[in-house]
Amino acid sequence: MMENAWLIPLFPFVSFVVLLVVGKQLKERSAYVGMLLTFISLIYALGVLYERWTAPTYKQAYTWLTIGNVQLTVGFEVNALNALMLVVVSLVSFLVHTYAKGYMHGDERFPVFYAYLGLFTFAMLGLVISPNLLQTYMFWELVGLGSFLLIGFYFYKEEAKAAAKKAFIMTRIGDVGLLIGMILLFLEVGSFEYEAIFAALQNGNISTTIITLSAILIFVGAVGKSGQFPLHTWLPDAMEGPTPVSALIHAATMVAAGVYLVATLFPLYEASETAMMTVAYVGGFTAIFAASIGLVQTDIKRVLAYSTVSQLGYMMLALGSAGYVAGIFHLMTHAFFKALLFLAAGSVIHAVHTQNIEQMGGLWKKMKWTAPLFLIGTLAISGFPLFSGFFSKDEILLAAWTHGHVGLFIVAVIAAFFTAFYMFRLFFLVFAGEARTNVHDVHESPMVMVLPMIVLGVLAVVSGYVQTPWGAFLGEWLTEGTNWHAHAEGPSWIMIVATIVSLCGIALAWLIYGKQAIARDWLSSRFPMTYNVLMNKYYVDEFYGLTVMRATAFISLLFEYIDRFLVEGIARSLAAATRGIGRIGSRLQNGQVQMYGTVTIVALAILVVIFAVTGGYL
Amino acid sequence: MQPYFLSLLIFSPLLGILVLSLISKEQEKAIKWLGVLATLPSLCLSLFAFWQYQNGYDISQLTEKRSWIRFGDFPFLRETDFTVAYELHVDGFALVMIVLTTILATLAALASVSIQKEWKGYFQLFLLLEIGMLGVFAASNLVLFFIFLELTLIPMFFLIGKWGYFEKEKAAYSYLIYNGLGSAVLLIVIAILFARTGTANIAELRHILTDPIAQMQTISPISDDLRYGLFIALLVAFGVKLPIVPLHRWMLRVHVQAPPSVVMLHAGVLLKIGAFGLVRIALGLFPGQFQQFSTWLIVLGVVNLLYGAFLAFRQTDFKMVLAYSSVSHMGIVLIGLGSLNEAGMQGAIFQAVSHGFIAAFLFFFVGVMYERTRTTTLARLGGMAKTMPYASGFILAGAMASLGLPGTSGFISEFMAFVGAFRAEPWLAAIGTLGIIMTAVYLLRAVLRITFGQTTVTNVHDLRGIEWVPAISLLLFIVIIGVYPNVLAMPLQTTIETMMNGLGG
Amino acid sequence: MSVPLSAYLVFALLLFCIGLYGALTKRNTVIVLICIELMLNAVNVNLVAFSKYGVNPGITGQLFSLFTITVAAAEVAVGLAILIALYRNRKTIHIDEVDTMKR
Repeated sequence: MMENAWLIPLFPFVSFVVLLVVGKQLKERSAYVGMLLTFISLIYALGVLYERWTAPTYKQAYTWLTIGNVQLTVGFEVNALNALMLVVVSLVSFLVHTYAKGYMHGDERFPVFYAYLGLFTFAMLGLVISPNLLQTYMFWELVGLGSFLLIGFYFYKEEAKAAAKKAFIMTRIGDVGLLIGMILLFLEVGSFEYEAIFAALQNGNISTTIITLSAILIFVGAVGKSGQFPLHTWLPDAMEGPTPVSALIHAATMVAAGVYLVATLFPLYEASETAMMTVAYVGGFTAIFAASIGLVQTDIKRVLAYSTVSQLGYMMLALGSAGYVAGIFHLMTHAFFKALLFLAAGSVIHAVHTQNIEQMGGLWKKMKWTAPLFLIGTLAISGFPLFSGFFSKDEILLAAWTHGHVGLFIVAVIAAFFTAFYMFRLFFLVFAGEARTNVHDVHESPMVMVLPMIVLGVLAVVSGYVQTPWGAFLGEWLTEGTNWHAHAEGPSWIMIVATIVSLCGIALAWLIYGKQAIARDWLSSRFPMTYNVLMNKYYVDEFYGLTVMRATAFISLLFEYIDRFLVEGIARSLAAATRGIGRIGSRLQNGQVQMYGTVTIVALAILVVIFAVTGGYL
Repeated sequence: MQPYFLSLLIFSPLLGILVLSLISKEQEKAIKWLGVLATLPSLCLSLFAFWQYQNGYDISQLTEKRSWIRFGDFPFLRETDFTVAYELHVDGFALVMIVLTTILATLAALASVSIQKEWKGYFQLFLLLEIGMLGVFAASNLVLFFIFLELTLIPMFFLIGKWGYFEKEKAAYSYLIYNGLGSAVLLIVIAILFARTGTANIAELRHILTDPIAQMQTISPISDDLRYGLFIALLVAFGVKLPIVPLHRWMLRVHVQAPPSVVMLHAGVLLKIGAFGLVRIALGLFPGQFQQFSTWLIVLGVVNLLYGAFLAFRQTDFKMVLAYSSVSHMGIVLIGLGSLNEAGMQGAIFQAVSHGFIAAFLFFFVGVMYERTRTTTLARLGGMAKTMPYASGFILAGAMASLGLPGTSGFISEFMAFVGAFRAEPWLAAIGTLGIIMTAVYLLRAVLRITFGQTTVTNVHDLRGIEWVPAISLLLFIVIIGVYPNVLAMPLQTTIETMMNGLGG
Repeated sequence: MSVPLSAYLVFALLLFCIGLYGALTKRNTVIVLICIELMLNAVNVNLVAFSKYGVNPGITGQLFSLFTITVAAAEVAVGLAILIALYRNRKTIHIDEVDTMKR
């Protein structure tokens, strides 16, 4: 099966093409096309994973482009990480395909939605089996296109338009970093192949400056895609897209691509202490930064979005602390529980037709399936013991601690506390208590939406058990043939601290929002400044508006003036000068033969003088 | 293949002109169909040649040579001195450009259905323009090159001046004056070279100018200073065509005022004559000078790239956005050429071809849009994704190709040009990458303004009938080059090798 | 004693310049015509001089001057005829007043 792994991305692509062409005729039956084809991908991916469990890495490449004597190739590779990602992506994609059949029901552009989903899935699957940086970059951008199209799916909404544009441009800024880093590496190594790059690293053929520089530039790409600070602002805005899209793209798969990229290039980062530090600190800062914003947001999807940003920061922190396994592990568990949370949130939105959590409440009784599933997701992300997030977060904390980043460790712990708090704040506000607005026809979502959530709910619980303190199956498999830690050994009090912290967060949230023992505005009334800053997301958007966008507008204006007045002015003055000369010339041309004769003679005389002086040659 | 193959390829539109002149002015349908049909023979011939070349046919067999003009009969000169032959020759690069031209000509002819008046004259001039463009790429001596170049000038002048929009006369004169001046400079260069060496054949000139021994035997040796002068003159001459900032103002007017079907050819092919000339003549004849100016070329390229991008960001008319985007994209050609390595050169040529398709594609949709909404002002457009979903999808695809999305030809060319540039001048290239971001910014701003948001113009219909042909085929070409670039890279290998040999490694 | 070639040439040059000056500056058409005659005669002087002192002395130069004289005579005849016709119609022979062709 592995030798035909390239087929996996192709199925969703077929779905894209088919739906683009005949979607209009199929109408809502398009969903079956999409579901069927992603299901085949999923089965295939599972087969590949099963085979890769025992077999060695498989790789194949074909010549794609010849530049001089350099042959660039495309191909595919199935290694442990890729095989795992294939399953995660195709699974979540299939579930979202299923879910969207209910969620998007009745939408005018239903087939288009499925076509875009197919395109995105194709790109994402293509991204994870790429054997070289160039191909990764190409799919990387295509993934961005899919995300852009889906964020802007409700194209008639101004917010969706702005969000789509912002997402594309912000990630593109990162992508340019990636492009530069990639080209620098290529010029040094002479190949885009991961193998060749790692070999050159091992032989010490790359100068340290280039390693650090390219590693950091590539990380800039990851920052853009994974919504890390300072390029994170697009991700919350991207919630303008349909909720299934948020689950698939902006929680489980695409945003994790940055983490995946850093993980894939892990040897490169290992070779540069500076790059590792950068990754760890950016990740750590993002984790706490986004978590603190998440504390006060009132839009259900935005809270989840900031939580995604924060969790991605966690993964980066893990990778930067040499916790290769920890990062991947959290990526996987996060994909499941965050997709679950988004799908459940979508189910809620589907029922109450609002995204403002202040207007929800009391849904526990009305949504028999959604509410418990949301709770599972919340427990998982909060790191409640024995749920998947507990194990993966624990790995990260261990990695940070054992790598000696005490500061980052503390940051991670605080972020974990924040996470537990705001997630349960969300849970209590939405499900507990009484309904704050009189929405009457609240109903549970159809089974086609609930079933995917159930699958994810199960995974959100059990997926943690592949890598526990008692047995590191995942880690051993992932790090086979390398000298990376399959499992970070560390003091066992870390696990206890993590548990206590998450329980404290949950308890505090319960006190404020569940039992309402503490007034809700207790904090905001005491620290209005802090509250405002958080509410306005640290004014990052405003800052960009004032600096980058102003600067761009100013340069444009400057160029406009140059173009209109300087360039055009010179051209005009040349034209005017020509016209002036012409006018003088026409004055000479007065019809008097004598004048003509004079001019002729004078000109002849000048020519004679010139010839006499130069001797006939110029 | 026939010994007359190239002549046949170039002059086959002439048949259309003749037949058209026999038809009554009033028969609109017949004229339009004939106009399209007349572009088909050269299309078929060029595709046939391309296919043969891909299959290993030696393309130099197509070379044609017939004696034509002889100046003076001086006993002390060799028989061949001061003669101009009618000689045609193509290599991989020229063949690619010819294929580009014939494809775009056919598609632009299809897009010409929206022309409102005097179809007969329009198509005659259109076909004449095609002859000129094809000739430029196939000519193997400078005099012939120049004649064909001028042959493009005149029909273009009338096409803009007669069938354009409101300020068409001004645009036409602008076009004529700028390009006329460029041509004049080129003519001076050609005259000096001809007078000094006695030949106008590009290959012979290259031999004379680069081989020190051959240079001693020529009629009047060319000093280094003169070489610099000639090189700069060539840069100016082709810089007007390309265009290089600050010689670009005419091109904006043409883009805005000319009918979209003509702009398809103009942006698609005529601008590329600048790139073609820079490669074939400036680089071919003066590799030494080219090398010394290479850094400046990259600087010019970066300036073009950023200047066009930032200005496109401010425009309020979609056509102006595209016009400045052409300026910006031609910067990438310069960057690629200036980097003087295989990757850069290949990137520059790719960009020339790729931009040809993309610009034609986008301008085709400008025409489609204008026909329905009677406007291209961004502020008055919006929400076209609702009324014209397919057209909007195509426009978005075009914008994506233009901003260099992988899987489209735009990416390959941009990527290679930047690989080249980073090898040559990393810092300049790094500044240039800002242009990649800006391209996304201005294109999305413009395209989303048109397709997303609230619908402003209702009861317009989507693509229909014949309009699908240019839309789909152009997109197909863009994607094919993007997905399998070797289809273009292979024919260019020998050209690029020759260029690199000329540069001494 | 023979007069050197240069003397002839200088004389012809002076004559030519006087003629040229007159032809370019005078407004009376008769004088202009006379000045043209002067220039022609300067040429004649040159022709004759070269026919004796030139690289290939021969009769050709003198022959040519005869042609010139003939042509000049014809030209003057035509010119004067036009002038008379003009004078009859316009009562003037000033050059810059005869400008109907320009209008």
